[in-house]
Amino acid sequence: MTTDTIPPIGRSWPQLYAVVIGALVVEMILFYGLMVWLT
Amino acid sequence: MSNLDWAVLALTLTGIIAYGLWRSRSRNNGTMDDYLLAGKSLPWYHVCLSVMATQASAITFLSAPGQGFSDGMRFVQFYFGLPLAMVVLSVTFVPIFHRLKIYTAYEFLENRFDVRVRTLTAGLFLLQRGLSTGLSIYAPSIILSTILGWNIYWTNALMGGIVLIYTVTGGTKAISYTHLQQMLIVTVAMFLAGWLTVHLLPDGVGFVDALKVAGKAGRMNLIDLKFDPDSRYNIWSGLIGGFFLQLSYFGTDQSQVGRYLTGQSVGQSRLGLLVNGLLKVPMQFLILLVGVLVYVFYQFQEQPVFFNKQEVEKLEQSQYAPEYQLLNIKHQTLIAQRQRMAVEMQSALETADDASGSPAQTATVEQTRADLRATDESLKTIKADVVTLIKKNNPTADTNDVNYIFLRFVLDFLPHGLIGLLIAVIFSASMGSIASAYNSLASTTIVDVYQRLVNRNADDKHYLRASQWATIGWGVFCIIIAQFANRLGSMIEAVNILGSLFYGVILGVFVVAFYLPRIGGRATLWATIIGEVLVIGCYALNLMAFLWLNVVGCLLVVGLAWGLQKVWPPQPKRLKAESQPD
Repeated sequence: MTTDTIPPIGRSWPQLYAVVIGALVVEMILFYGLMVWLT
Repeated sequence: MSNLDWAVLALTLTGIIAYGLWRSRSRNNGTMDDYLLAGKSLPWYHVCLSVMATQASAITFLSAPGQGFSDGMRFVQFYFGLPLAMVVLSVTFVPIFHRLKIYTAYEFLENRFDVRVRTLTAGLFLLQRGLSTGLSIYAPSIILSTILGWNIYWTNALMGGIVLIYTVTGGTKAISYTHLQQMLIVTVAMFLAGWLTVHLLPDGVGFVDALKVAGKAGRMNLIDLKFDPDSRYNIWSGLIGGFFLQLSYFGTDQSQVGRYLTGQSVGQSRLGLLVNGLLKVPMQFLILLVGVLVYVFYQFQEQPVFFNKQEVEKLEQSQYAPEYQLLNIKHQTLIAQRQRMAVEMQSALETADDASGSPAQTATVEQTRADLRATDESLKTIKADVVTLIKKNNPTADTNDVNYIFLRFVLDFLPHGLIGLLIAVIFSASMGSIASAYNSLASTTIVDVYQRLVNRNADDKHYLRASQWATIGWGVFCIIIAQFANRLGSMIEAVNILGSLFYGVILGVFVVAFYLPRIGGRATLWATIIGEVLVIGCYALNLMAFLWLNVVGCLLVVGLAWGLQKVWPPQPKRLKAESQPD
């Protein structure tokens, strides 16, 4: 097994991709909430 | 700047350069592979910090807080497409580039199409990157010229020249090691700047209070859901236009491709890019937030009518001085009024919180908010009048002060020592992106032009020396461009507009290469030429906000290439087996 098939951190590459996209979605929701709360 | 600031600045910069040179010398074999790709030996965190440092130039730290100050947080939406682009790159581009063992992204295009498409795309890159690197040199130069009254032309030459020292001698390894230090210093200094800005707010106004005041003043405009092609920053332009721009930038711009090709393996390069995708949006959020905090700080303080001190001083000594004084008095009166309103707003917000939002308190908050916004509008009108006077007095004056806001705040209010550190941040960030740009311009010139078209049979040592000379040549070219960069408004926008003129088209070529294997070189070549002309036409006629040019450019090339391939006799040349994506 090399780092090309298994990422250096995390279980699989698709899982890491999901983490990156999920983090973006969470950030957008948080930003929207912050904007509504402060405005 | 005090002696302490000078010492901090000199120590920081010398330390970064010396460390980079030392680390690269002890591990450099003197080959072209080492010089251009660091021998493909770097771990994922090097890749990650190197791509971040390449993208985060001095422009990021000068203009972004200024954008936050004057336009609020909405610029953060521009980066929403970046994480998505990192995923697409990791799945498609990275494994192919690694497997083909290429030096530049454009080598792949000859493998897929022919030498004409490779050369045209490399040429578009050299033109775009050469011009935008000139802007990256100019950005920190205005700081020195503002602080010390140095001649801007000599400052540009000095700034571009310092970077050449370690880029020419140390190559990619020196660049990568200096990127690590630069990102560390940048992070520490920006956190300190944000923390101290909150600390400088009046007693009783904390971080959350500052955010509330910013929110009521319309500066916490983080998300705009309205789909409007003319609006520069909304969630759709960020996700769609930003995705195309970032995909083009990271996938086809050699200054970035050259960074992640230094990874030890596909996995190390991929992970570096993905972690960049995780960190970039929060990082931009924090940088913009510093600008918003500076805005709140000035709600309780006297604020200059125009942040570029040099232009104001020139105006004060001109025939327009009486008119300026009159406007300045009006400005100061409104600022005093605004300070009172800000205090009222702050106490009304506190009371509204205590009273759990009773209708009377909410009405007070709303009234103060309306008054604050009306005062802001009046201040904008006065500023526009001052700008008109500046223009009358000096037709060549830089009438956009966005890039001066953060710097002026730092110099006027932050403690000595931190001033030197923040100036070092701006310098080192600039050096990081300029170094990557020099390196990529040299590698494209040597690998895609010189080695491919001029001299194909020289030895490795010859190409190494040629790469070093090409680095020097591009350094000189970029410094010359920097001399003409002083009238482009917000530099961060100028760089992105320039990128958008070319990136979409270049991305279109790569999309055809990766995903449409039946389209040949001739159709792609003409689609690229026609697409580029049409994109420049769209921009010249102001048909849409610049981010959309990336989408239009890419779609035009794909559509035109497909159409031309249908019209012309087919010349199918399938993607080679070894270049198929995973």
